[in-house]
Amino acid sequence: MVGKRSVSVWLGTRKGAYVARSNVARKKWTVHGPFQDGSDVFHVAPDPRHPGTVYSAANNGWWGPALYRSRDGGKKWTEVSVPGTPRFGERKMTDGEPPAAKFPIKNLWHIEPGPPGEPKSVFLGVDPAALYRSDDEGAHWEGVSGINEHSTRSRWNPGAGGLCLHTILIDPQQPRRMYIGISAAGTFKTEDGGAHWSPCNKGVEAPFLPEKFPELGQCVHKVALDPEDPSVLYRQDHGGIYVSRDRADHWTRVGKPLPEDFGFVVATAAGRPGEATFIPEIGESRTAIGGQFQVYRWHRDSKKWSPLVRKGLFPGFFGVHREGMAIDDLPTNGIYVGSTTGTLVLSPDYGRSWSAVPYQFPGIHSVSVSTA
Amino acid sequence: MAEVRLDGMLRQFVPRTSLTSSAGSVDLLLDELEARYPRLKHRIRDETHRLRPFVKVFVNGEELPRDGAEAHRLGPSDSIDILHSIQGG
Repeated sequence: MVGKRSVSVWLGTRKGAYVARSNVARKKWTVHGPFQDGSDVFHVAPDPRHPGTVYSAANNGWWGPALYRSRDGGKKWTEVSVPGTPRFGERKMTDGEPPAAKFPIKNLWHIEPGPPGEPKSVFLGVDPAALYRSDDEGAHWEGVSGINEHSTRSRWNPGAGGLCLHTILIDPQQPRRMYIGISAAGTFKTEDGGAHWSPCNKGVEAPFLPEKFPELGQCVHKVALDPEDPSVLYRQDHGGIYVSRDRADHWTRVGKPLPEDFGFVVATAAGRPGEATFIPEIGESRTAIGGQFQVYRWHRDSKKWSPLVRKGLFPGFFGVHREGMAIDDLPTNGIYVGSTTGTLVLSPDYGRSWSAVPYQFPGIHSVSVSTA
Repeated sequence: MAEVRLDGMLRQFVPRTSLTSSAGSVDLLLDELEARYPRLKHRIRDETHRLRPFVKVFVNGEELPRDGAEAHRLGPSDSIDILHSIQGG
């Protein structure tokens, strides 16, 4: 992309948030942080509509979840509201009683800035599974009742990480069409901006349920939109890797040729239609297959998989969490992967070469990237 | 007046850790503390008014059981400690 000079890789870790910065060569990095020191930061989300604005979802075992916002690229952070818990300055004795089914909020999982046409909107996914919308950049939140009160809610079950709403996707061509992912309820879609939602899991296996292909109950781990054709989605599920070509109405499993197609992450890259990048893991241990970090790319046209990491690089039985990979929007599409053991692995050239940022982070939950 | 002691971790929300109260129950004591120190709200209790998981309340040296701790009655001669247990790693 012409004129871009810097890359910021935002990390949510077990002990706070960090940002690693480099120029576009991505050879030398400076690390800043931790921010929200000591909190389990599940997600850090730069807002592409407002360069410099970043949100951080900080979960704390003593004090509960808190949401922070920076306006200056992470130098100063201000606590904004969490649904049901107004920010400090607005806390009164008469705060309304929240409905019991969705509270208390255990953890904040995913922050999704809204579409460009709604510059102050932000979506938030939490555990217990619920979707919230703010139209004032996090000062106030409203539950999206179409999904939070969904008629199937009694059939949703928690995965190992809780009953979490961890994926929020907005169709860039039709922003009233959105997708969410809940573990373990599956993927849901709305076509009307959130008023109505339908499960979309046809063809996705739930190997842990008596019925192997139910309407819902799948443990979706992450979903990504194709960068140029948003009717195409890529999905990493507990029960394999899938592709949909009809806006999530039907899914086809494509991961079977891999040594394993269990895993947590999937990412797509600007300017690379028909391709998605996955990191399969051993299902039992949630660690690298054979103790060798490996990244695979799916190619729609050839219907083939390519391994991207040379054997011998980054050996070890570590894992990658569901928010743990991001790809930048530079022409060379850098890939950034955060490990559960605190290593930030990167490829500045879309998987041809790999290195690591020379810094020992706490275990990494999430990786996001912004360029300027 | 009952004596109330808060652990050092709460200093980030409350300027003093030793105070007195005439509240008649743990819930009313926490209401009073939150009214005095709004930054405390939703930190000791969650948004459903239950104690957060790692909060322990002791009355006269005895730990209150989690179930029903909020409703425990307090008297003027009681000594109350609000502590945070170790968690994480």
